[in-house]
Amino acid sequence: MDLAEFLFWTVGALTCLSAVMVAAAQSIVRAAVWLLFTLAGVSGLYFLLGADFLGAVQLIVYVGGILILVIFGVMLTAQGPLTSIKTPAGEWAISLVVGFLMLGLLVACILATSFDTFKPTTIIDDPARARTATDLGLVLVGVKDSQVQGPADLNQVPGRQREGITYVFPFEILSVHLVVVLIGAAYLARAKRRRKEQA
Amino acid sequence: MNQHFLTGESVTQLTQSLGGSLAVFAPELVLAGGIVLLLLLRMLSAFNRLHLGYVALGIGAVALWLSWTQWQPFLMADNSVQQSAFGGMLVFDGLTAFIRLFLMAGLVLLVWLTLMTGIPDREDSADFYVLLLGAVVGMNLMASANHLLMVFISIEMASLPSYGLVGFLKGRRQSSEAALKYVVYGGAAAGVMLYGMSFLVGRCGSGYLPDVALSFQALLRDGGFDPLLLVSILMILIGLAFKLSAVPFHFWCPDVFEGAAAEVGAFLSVASKGAAVALTGRFCLTLVAGTPADPVANAELWNSASHYFGPALAFFAAVTATFGNLAAYTQTNLKRLLAYSTIAHAGILIMGIAALTADGLSAALLYLVVYLFGNFGAFAVVALLRNAYGTEDLADYSGMVRRAPFLTVAMAIFLLSLVGLPPLMGYVAKFEIFAELYQAGYNLNRPHLIYLLIVGLFNTVISLFYYVKVLKVMIIEPLPEGAAVQPIAPLANIYVGILAFVTAFGLRVWDPLMEHGAKRATAPMRFVAEQVPAAGPR
Repeated sequence: MDLAEFLFWTVGALTCLSAVMVAAAQSIVRAAVWLLFTLAGVSGLYFLLGADFLGAVQLIVYVGGILILVIFGVMLTAQGPLTSIKTPAGEWAISLVVGFLMLGLLVACILATSFDTFKPTTIIDDPARARTATDLGLVLVGVKDSQVQGPADLNQVPGRQREGITYVFPFEILSVHLVVVLIGAAYLARAKRRRKEQA
Repeated sequence: MNQHFLTGESVTQLTQSLGGSLAVFAPELVLAGGIVLLLLLRMLSAFNRLHLGYVALGIGAVALWLSWTQWQPFLMADNSVQQSAFGGMLVFDGLTAFIRLFLMAGLVLLVWLTLMTGIPDREDSADFYVLLLGAVVGMNLMASANHLLMVFISIEMASLPSYGLVGFLKGRRQSSEAALKYVVYGGAAAGVMLYGMSFLVGRCGSGYLPDVALSFQALLRDGGFDPLLLVSILMILIGLAFKLSAVPFHFWCPDVFEGAAAEVGAFLSVASKGAAVALTGRFCLTLVAGTPADPVANAELWNSASHYFGPALAFFAAVTATFGNLAAYTQTNLKRLLAYSTIAHAGILIMGIAALTADGLSAALLYLVVYLFGNFGAFAVVALLRNAYGTEDLADYSGMVRRAPFLTVAMAIFLLSLVGLPPLMGYVAKFEIFAELYQAGYNLNRPHLIYLLIVGLFNTVISLFYYVKVLKVMIIEPLPEGAAVQPIAPLANIYVGILAFVTAFGLRVWDPLMEHGAKRATAPMRFVAEQVPAAGPR
């Protein structure tokens, strides 16, 4: 076991531990802090697997942005009955049973699946090889084809021309979506103006 | 096409393909432009006194016209062209054009209805129509999504504005509760679906649906049964089942419909179902379809691939239809009753998809068109009577025939059409779905489809009880003493009259609608079933 592999397992175990603590913590503030470690741990895994851009995005968006919002929300609402979450024993039992059944199902499925047709994703310990932002940028505008790794060599299908896949469109259309959602949120948040009183 | 820098040549290439994509995308562009226009008009004081519904109606009409012109090539000939747009993110084919036309027609009908019923008022009109147009853009994308990334984004684009629309009546506790429930269920379903997608993408190596299909088929050829694939597909179907309000993911539906305004209910029950049917149909049929060139391999593929979808869809369909119809019987609130009726109809729509043939999907599309008129009509009557008499309780509808005779007769036509009684248009839709179930079950040797057909027939009988119960209250029960009679606006009567006319005499356009409409829409997927060898009677 070399250093990279050791780090991978350590970070992974810490991430899982904090994720469990998010669910188990009774104080909502503590849960938010455990969430911080979970999200940061996930970004650490991304970095270890060579997805530097994804790791950075995870840090900036989730740890830096969303988690701050969560903590703001907690601070504004954590008064009186909402500061601590007490889950009744019955709900614990049900959620444990359902959760472990789901876990068992997924683990069984993953173990029953053979992944030998895949190129294994390796831990990248050479920083020069782990520069994904350029590639992602080129795929985004469709200059470079997104690489397909799969059980079938898709280029080998007769009579079929693979076309380049670009990701500009989702990026652009989301801006329309965000405008709409912003308007909706503003509508729901603002108080209704009393027009009749003015008249 | 592997290079590392952006060159002038590749930029030219990208610009050219973008032009073609934008041309196909014109109706959605109009809607997106309309959103901006609505927001800008709100800033000008000159337009402060204008109800922006008229502007939204204009935008919807332009988009409808554009969608109609885009449907023309499919109307004229059997056109199985699938044009890829925006670098494979979207696909433009008959199904896209058909659903787009359907959604734009629904949009125009809804905006017209809201102009008459006064929800929203003038002050909130900009927000309401922005949310509405945004949701319709998302639904259009659902119908044309060709990449799992777009599948997810489009579902969210259709859902998030819908949450806002449900909570639009801000002062009412019920409305806010409905919106919150919708958000929580929607978020959970989206999470499950995204998890399933991550497995599917991981297993197939790509999110581009044709590539996913190829990998899926290669896996089936090599290994036979793949549990991870099955689980991932089931998870994606759960997300879609939420949009279709299929049992057991329907819990949000009655509460949301009861809390939201009837107009929003009409929109959710018709438009969002239409988009979800198209997306579910495209997803399932793309994965079970092989290459047109090789009929024998195709048939084998269909036989093994259909095991991944067929039983799950058939189960959803049977449970959904039966539960919806049984639960509707005890409802006393009309919007809640129509919500359960929506669930039941979702079950019948899934039956069409469960056949896993292009003709089955065509039957579901035809059903959608019929359902658009019948259900919109029923919700419109509820909304108009709410405005006139301030009630949505079935008990207060007694003797309604003496207060609003025209609306009552129209309601009778809508409800009987939803049952599927012969002279009305609903019969056409039910007949086509059941006929496709029989054909697929018998010819393709899928006995579970025959059982599904029996469940469907049984459900038609149950649904008769609660629809007729509404009519009994409205027509036979006496008007309470001293009940006032409110006038209904003539324009509202005309609106309902048009919908009722189409529902009553739509039988006349059965053949053109099916042969030149719904069947043309699924032409690219046609070879799926036709080349499966007829197994003959068992």
